[in-house]
Amino acid sequence: MRSGNFKQNYRELLALTDSVAVVFWSCVLVAFLLAAPLVLPTYYVSVLLLLLITAVGVLGLNLLTGTTGLISLGHSGFLAVGAYTAGIVAGKLGWSMLPAILVGGLSAAIAGVIVGIPSLRLKGLYLAITTMAFAVIINHLILNGGTLTGGSEGLTVPQPSLFGRPLGAERGYYYVVLAFLVVFTFITLNILRSRIGRAFLAIREHDIAAKAMGVNLIRYKLLAFMISAFYTGIAGGLLAFYTRYLNVDSFSLLISIEALSMLIVGGLGTVAGALLGTAFIVLLNEGLGFVFGMIGASLGGAGSTAAYEIKGVIYGLAIVLFLRFEPDGLVGRWRDIKHYWTNWPFRF
Amino acid sequence: MDYFLQLLISGMAVGLIYGFIGMGFAMIYRATGVVNFAQGEMMMLVSYIAFTLAGTLHFGFWPMLAATVAISVLIGLVVEVLLIRPMLGQPVFSTVMVTIGLAVILRSVVVLIWGADPMPLNTGLSTEVIRIGPAGLYPAQLYALGLMAAVLVGLWAFFRYSRVGIAMRATANLQTAALLMGINVKRIFALSWALSAGLAAIAGVLIGVIYDVNPGMWTTGLRSFPAVILGGLDSVFGAALGGVLIGVVENLSEGYIGRGMKEIAGFVLILVVLMVRPYGLFGKPDIERV
Repeated sequence: MRSGNFKQNYRELLALTDSVAVVFWSCVLVAFLLAAPLVLPTYYVSVLLLLLITAVGVLGLNLLTGTTGLISLGHSGFLAVGAYTAGIVAGKLGWSMLPAILVGGLSAAIAGVIVGIPSLRLKGLYLAITTMAFAVIINHLILNGGTLTGGSEGLTVPQPSLFGRPLGAERGYYYVVLAFLVVFTFITLNILRSRIGRAFLAIREHDIAAKAMGVNLIRYKLLAFMISAFYTGIAGGLLAFYTRYLNVDSFSLLISIEALSMLIVGGLGTVAGALLGTAFIVLLNEGLGFVFGMIGASLGGAGSTAAYEIKGVIYGLAIVLFLRFEPDGLVGRWRDIKHYWTNWPFRF
Repeated sequence: MDYFLQLLISGMAVGLIYGFIGMGFAMIYRATGVVNFAQGEMMMLVSYIAFTLAGTLHFGFWPMLAATVAISVLIGLVVEVLLIRPMLGQPVFSTVMVTIGLAVILRSVVVLIWGADPMPLNTGLSTEVIRIGPAGLYPAQLYALGLMAAVLVGLWAFFRYSRVGIAMRATANLQTAALLMGINVKRIFALSWALSAGLAAIAGVLIGVIYDVNPGMWTTGLRSFPAVILGGLDSVFGAALGGVLIGVVENLSEGYIGRGMKEIAGFVLILVVLMVRPYGLFGKPDIERV
């Protein structure tokens, strides 16, 4: 008798999903995102745009920290490398948007390999702090990059354009970013079900055991760093054309921490978790900013700094409480709810 | 040569503060395997509390230091019981993220209570520069040296002779065995957090007296990471030495290589050291079995 979830051949086992509902709702989500710029006011579209860009980077961090188990606090560095490379080749060399973003991703990937080399000997928190050191050094290099990076004055990036036609921020560029996110989500899902993805998972569970099973640690750890940095570099390139002005202050360590908190809130190691967590934190940030902005405006100048700080407290509390009460993140909670309904009246 | 000595001595003075913060990191890591990313923020909070104490009670330097350390130890205990203990049994990474969350909260709380302007921490200590050869030092920096010596001797004796200290070493060595020997490991964890907060308090008061209290103080916590990594995350005494080394290297590179090198010299140094010794200079390598 057929019961529960079982597979009869390898193709079914390796399929992206076996559930019609997942395919259906994914299509609904994409359709909603496609329609969003047509119905939503510009402000919400630009929030959504930022969310999509962040999601690309968080997907990359998820591959490294969630799937391979290598903790990185240096992703703000990769983001900066991607953004500045894209900004420089577009602004100074006059490249068009798509090649500039790709070059941004590639240069971040190279940086990823360089950072990945120490990771071959380091583990856990030693690695986390080493990646942090990388981010600090990158910021220093950018700050002292002279005319190339603009130093503390920052760097302006030209307007995004596709095939010679300029794109408006909220309409045209939004679809470019959405296309990137959809493509990268598919790539991630496909990496995860391939030999590479299984090697990553094996390394996360126990790297020495993985090595004993024949996983080439040097190769796969570097590959994880490279792919992850590539994603984040692409996100950086997209960000460069979104903000159109780069300043080293916007690539602080807080970015890395925020990205990690997105992963944890969503659920480490799953693509759905990375996307959900990004949406949750970005919208939380925007929502809190909106609410406290109104309260602050009604209180005047001193009130608005207080409102800003209260927003910080709530943000920190959200991280702490999620870890305390929902260590598997939103995805874990969703799974529990699903099990509850499918197995009712049994508990499991 | 004078220039060199001057850089060396002022670097050591800064390094002592890194050392205190780094020892706090190491104290917690040794016992619990967690790096407290909120160490710099706890230091900042405590130093603001010292500011309030100094402003309202007009304590002298030493009574204020003692009172601040006592309050800080309590804060450390509260943090451990409220935030860290419930995370027992979760992956280390999750606990580390809790400390990051705590750091975000503390940063905002400090600005909410005390405002964003830097303020001097006045303790009636003279700010007249004492000249030692070519270098000038504040009295507080000399106190820092004395305090560091006292703390090092005190901790050494504590770990070597006291019952609790030996229990802490046993827990750091092997938790399961320590539990089986009847050591209350939870209490050891709480004690580690308390001691670490006490060390943070010393650092906070010293920074407040030497420079000022300001809402950007927590970055000193970040700058102390190289110190503890250099010494080895699980070596308390290594962190003290690492702090001094990092302080000196920062100052020398700033003086001889160029402006801004101070910010990254420590991080560059640990990148090099970790390539050679992945567990720092005095850290204990993990021997893993599959």
